[in-house]
Amino acid sequence: MNLGAMSFDQGILNLANWLGNVIMPTLAAVFIILSVLQFSKGREFAHSMYAALASLMISGLVRAMETFASQAAWNNPDLYWLSLLALIDWVANVILPVYAASQVAAMALKLGVSSLVHPTSGWLRHFLTAAFCLMLSGVLRLAEFFVTQGTGGIT
Amino acid sequence: MPTPPVLDDLISVLLLLAPSAAVLSLVLAGISLRREGTMTFTIGGGFTKWMFWAVFFVTLQPLLGWFSSFGITTPLPSGGIATGWIGSLVADISQFITGFVVQRLVPTLAAFFVLRAVLDGASGQQPLASILTAMFLLGVETTYGLLQSYNTGTPYAMADVLDSLWNHLAGTIMPLAAVLALVGAILNFATHKPFMRLVAVSLAMLTTSAIWKLVVSMM
Repeated sequence: MNLGAMSFDQGILNLANWLGNVIMPTLAAVFIILSVLQFSKGREFAHSMYAALASLMISGLVRAMETFASQAAWNNPDLYWLSLLALIDWVANVILPVYAASQVAAMALKLGVSSLVHPTSGWLRHFLTAAFCLMLSGVLRLAEFFVTQGTGGIT
Repeated sequence: MPTPPVLDDLISVLLLLAPSAAVLSLVLAGISLRREGTMTFTIGGGFTKWMFWAVFFVTLQPLLGWFSSFGITTPLPSGGIATGWIGSLVADISQFITGFVVQRLVPTLAAFFVLRAVLDGASGQQPLASILTAMFLLGVETTYGLLQSYNTGTPYAMADVLDSLWNHLAGTIMPLAAVLALVGAILNFATHKPFMRLVAVSLAMLTTSAIWKLVVSMM
């Protein structure tokens, strides 16, 4: 065994590559199987389904995290805050609009299946979720406005 | 009065055995990494203590340079060991550490830690800690070479090596650990466990140097 050629860094690098490129795609199949089984029993299956997608996209997710963590120079004290900000910005402006579209589709399905236009039939929840997803910045600004208005205290 | 040759030889023995002591300290650091329980290390725990001693032994000679600045002359013996049996003792101990401990014992120990990882998994614990320990043990020789390459040979060598080790940890190891944290986040998400912490940790691992600068700028 040539111990002189083995290094801790290389070991971790290969471990990360093996986990990301070999194990996670294999686990994705397990998560899909689990989601199908959970769906068949009427249980919550979204977690397994999204986990399967994330397992297949692990390289892309790492690259995304690297992009979030490269918003400023490496020695900029604000880099961690900027990277968190970029992550939140990406979730709010990229992921949530897509989620809003899925909620509109869910609302349409609900209306089509139950054909009951009533606030308690569930379609309204999907509609409001889609609206909130698209109005996230506005909701935040509204909350900020309320807090700003309240800085004077109670008179 | 000249230094007695036996004393010169004893000083030479101690200095020549320093590299072996450093390698042995690295092996003990690897074992402590797992014994401390998790995949991270405890500040002031066994891992940090043995790493400190490894760095100390690597930079022993430059550290002695401080005595000169205190006004105490410390002439280090040169020209090898005069007494034959003491010279062979050093060679034997060095051969024992390299040939027996590092080449034979450490790989076996690492193999036991891989076994331990499997058993960790069986008992519901994280197997990653034992795997990382096995990797650390297998990389002991290279880690020793890394410490030597950071040795500046000045009286500040010990601090220089520790500085360089921090840079290596923050710049090379942490970005790789960020990938492992993301994998952990996905597994936690799939099993309905908290995962946001690991996402935040992953970002923090990618920006460790910036967090250090942030702490410095807060002072």
